[in-house]
Amino acid sequence: MSTVALVGAGAVGVRAARQLVDTPGLGHLKIAARDAPAARRLARAVGAEPVPLAHVLDGEVHAVAVAVPGPAGVAIIRRAVEAGIPSASCADDDASIRGLLELGPAAFDRQVMVVAGCGLAPGLTDVLARHAADGLDAPDEVHVARVGVAGPSCRTTLRAAVRAPSREWRDGTWHVPERRGPQLVWFPEPVAARECTPVDLGVEVVRGALPEVRDITMRAESPGRNDGRARLGIGRGPAVDEFGGARVEVWGWHGGVRTSIVYGVIERPAIAAGTTLAVSAARLSGLIASIGLRVDLGGVRSAGATFEAPTFLAELARRGVKVAAFEGAQR
Amino acid sequence: MSNVRRGLILGLLAVVVGVVVRVRGKGEVEPATGTWRELQGPDFR
Repeated sequence: MSTVALVGAGAVGVRAARQLVDTPGLGHLKIAARDAPAARRLARAVGAEPVPLAHVLDGEVHAVAVAVPGPAGVAIIRRAVEAGIPSASCADDDASIRGLLELGPAAFDRQVMVVAGCGLAPGLTDVLARHAADGLDAPDEVHVARVGVAGPSCRTTLRAAVRAPSREWRDGTWHVPERRGPQLVWFPEPVAARECTPVDLGVEVVRGALPEVRDITMRAESPGRNDGRARLGIGRGPAVDEFGGARVEVWGWHGGVRTSIVYGVIERPAIAAGTTLAVSAARLSGLIASIGLRVDLGGVRSAGATFEAPTFLAELARRGVKVAAFEGAQR
Repeated sequence: MSNVRRGLILGLLAVVVGVVVRVRGKGEVEPATGTWRELQGPDFR
């Protein structure tokens, strides 16, 4: 029986808690959050133990799932590394991911596994990219796009990323695209075609999952441009936890032919992120042994570099997060 | 009167530039035909 600590009671934390309590073999779930009343409400709803944030790692804890963005989330992961507890974080902002990657040497020294970027994108998209790349002889390009936000903090992160200068990984080096205009990207129905802008969210994480690839781009639809109109009762308002999705396109050579493999996922972003986070943390705690590990060394890695993609995707599908492959012709 | 005419010309110019930028901005879209198929058991091996 494993004990898992979940930090965060927002949109993703709630879904992760529900997925964790549905995991066979989970003996005990501790829940803490900066918003203590929210943590207590969530713990009561799912039958978990609410604990103060300062004491969330006390006692026997086999893994930590962190659904807190920004420096607060990095600080919890740092404490987990120092305590020798494996952890998973769904933070997608660039500062958090950099902060987590900086913990790599400490995690390696203590032989503690940390999975950075366990949300929809980065997270599920890295696993999909790895799965697609494994289907090619020589993958060399990865293009990721996402649409939708899990909650208010995710929307804030995405809006900032869309406005900020973005970087891409081109020809094996960092590159700032000259044109930052949106591009139409096709997702599975009902999301369909959306205009997505280059963003610097998790490119570094995808690099960790696919070190052999020379080009990596990440795009996202700008969320909630119509806040002001919504306050006046005009328009739809910012989309939070509506249907979103992700698309992963991997190009390379297979059998001497240049070809691509395209995967898409359509789900409410909070559910996709919460399920990815919960499955990652549960596997790190020793549960869901059907999911293979690509490595068993300590360090900070992406989900795609940590877990065997086919078994990870099968577990997500069993929990209702389904992936589709595009079958057709791209000209 | 010349100010009005100048304003109209500038407005027309802005529309023309906007249309050109908009149309050229769509140039990178790669047309595709096909369908999405949900991954099943054999895809996870």
